[in-house]
Amino acid sequence: MNKNLFLRELKGNAFSLLIWTIVITTLISVTMSVYGTFLENNSKILAMISILPEGALQFKGISNIDDLFSVLGFYTANNVIYMLVLGSIYAIVLSSNILLKEEYNKTAEFLLTWPLTRSEVFNSKAAVVFLNVVLLNLVTALAGFISMEIAQREPYSVNAFLILSLYTLLLNLFFGAVGLFMSTLVKRAKPITTLSIGLVLILYFIHTLSKITDSLSKLGYISPFKYVNVDTLNPEYRLEFRNLLYFTAVSLLLIFLSYRLYKRKDVYL
Amino acid sequence: MSATIIDIRDLTKTYGKDRGIEGVNLEVEEGEIFGFIGPNGSGKSTTIRVLLNLIFPSAGNAKIMGLDVVRDSKKIRSRTGYVPSDANLYPHMDIGEFLDYCLGFYQTHEGEKRISELSELFELDRKRKISDLSMGNRKKVSIIQSLLHNPELLILDEPTMGLDPLMQARFFELLRTENRKGMTVFFSSHTLSEVQLLCRRVAIIKEGRIIRVEDIETLRKRQLRKISIEFDGQTDKELPGLQGIEDIPLITGSTMQFMYSGDINDLIAKLRGKKIIDMTIEEPSLEEIFMHYYN
Repeated sequence: MNKNLFLRELKGNAFSLLIWTIVITTLISVTMSVYGTFLENNSKILAMISILPEGALQFKGISNIDDLFSVLGFYTANNVIYMLVLGSIYAIVLSSNILLKEEYNKTAEFLLTWPLTRSEVFNSKAAVVFLNVVLLNLVTALAGFISMEIAQREPYSVNAFLILSLYTLLLNLFFGAVGLFMSTLVKRAKPITTLSIGLVLILYFIHTLSKITDSLSKLGYISPFKYVNVDTLNPEYRLEFRNLLYFTAVSLLLIFLSYRLYKRKDVYL
Repeated sequence: MSATIIDIRDLTKTYGKDRGIEGVNLEVEEGEIFGFIGPNGSGKSTTIRVLLNLIFPSAGNAKIMGLDVVRDSKKIRSRTGYVPSDANLYPHMDIGEFLDYCLGFYQTHEGEKRISELSELFELDRKRKISDLSMGNRKKVSIIQSLLHNPELLILDEPTMGLDPLMQARFFELLRTENRKGMTVFFSSHTLSEVQLLCRRVAIIKEGRIIRVEDIETLRKRQLRKISIEFDGQTDKELPGLQGIEDIPLITGSTMQFMYSGDINDLIAKLRGKKIIDMTIEEPSLEEIFMHYYN
């Protein structure tokens, strides 16, 4: 890793990290601030929710309406979109552009002709991606924890919250690896932001569809969202080895492949 | 005898439908200013990009300072400077920030001093934002970043593009000064006249192949003549077969024009008995010699 490049990238991406963190933190805090009102008006809200199609509830990760009345269930259901989807979009947009931007902005003609190996460039930039994703997750999880502490009316499992946060981090890091891999496959450099965001949304949509349509349940396995267990109110809730293995193995494999491809990539400018 | 600083052997690069370079062989001696000329798309930039390991060779190999351009690229780059044809710098930085960033990759104690000297020479205000710079000013920044670590080899790809004549002259003078101190310059251009001003030797690349490596003076002094004959009536149909005629003669009405490198007496003998109105024998310009190799 090269310190000069690492620090420059960290600085260059700090503003975008700040904006994403503020947006997601605000969304979480605002959502959790209505928990009290939600409990006080439960009969009206129940009536309102019950008329929603099952797909709409599943889209938000709600499998049981009663779960919404516990603070952890409310947090889980409402923050699926914010943390799992938005966090993954942040990770993939950052990672799919961090190497590629040097090519489509043609600055690679400088960076890659200064005394740096391709490994140093890859490692420094990948480190920035993963550090930023970890920082985003840390701050937003902390915001979630504080919000729940303020909103709670009865005790909840902090352990389950931490496991959900870990799942979120693993999923976001996974999309970070996917973005790096995609960018190393691009031959003629151009931004792939739209494609990256589209991929996250399509995989989330496939996951939701597989949950509400029995005939498509097998399709869910192609989506990484399938391997995020959001059943936080289940007493048996834990970090499953199978899911941990999936995220770790696939992410490491994608990072390894990206590294190998980038080391031998022809940089056309 | 000087050592070889750039040694290219049977270098080939092909990609998709685009033609790259094929079987390029080239040697550049340490301490020379070497010209590399060819029109756009002839393979100049491809050759340079292989040398800088931006792209990988399909076959053959290249060495710089005895080091392999693929395996030892980092070591090579620490001793090499490069000015690309386009100066696409980081637009959100200011000049000073960009040059400091660049300096951070080199282990040099005189970088700051060097940046000040060169900024002064090119009249650059280091506080200016890169996004506000003209092409010429961005080119100046690009030149400074290539020289701040006192490289042993400087690779230039169309370096004068965007520079005004005054800055161009200063840049050429700087190159001569650095060359006198020992720096080798590999100067790629499609303009022969600027190569002619600086270089002692030149390689001509055409359609991805090196077609000639020659001293500029030899190129100029080659016994190549531009012949123009106006016949009385039809042009001589047998004349194009004469040994020494270097190209397919250009026939306009009753006038025939061609480049001739053979014995002038053979040409005169061949024309014996033909009715001629006018005949001119000229020394071609360097530009015409250059174009001759392309035709």
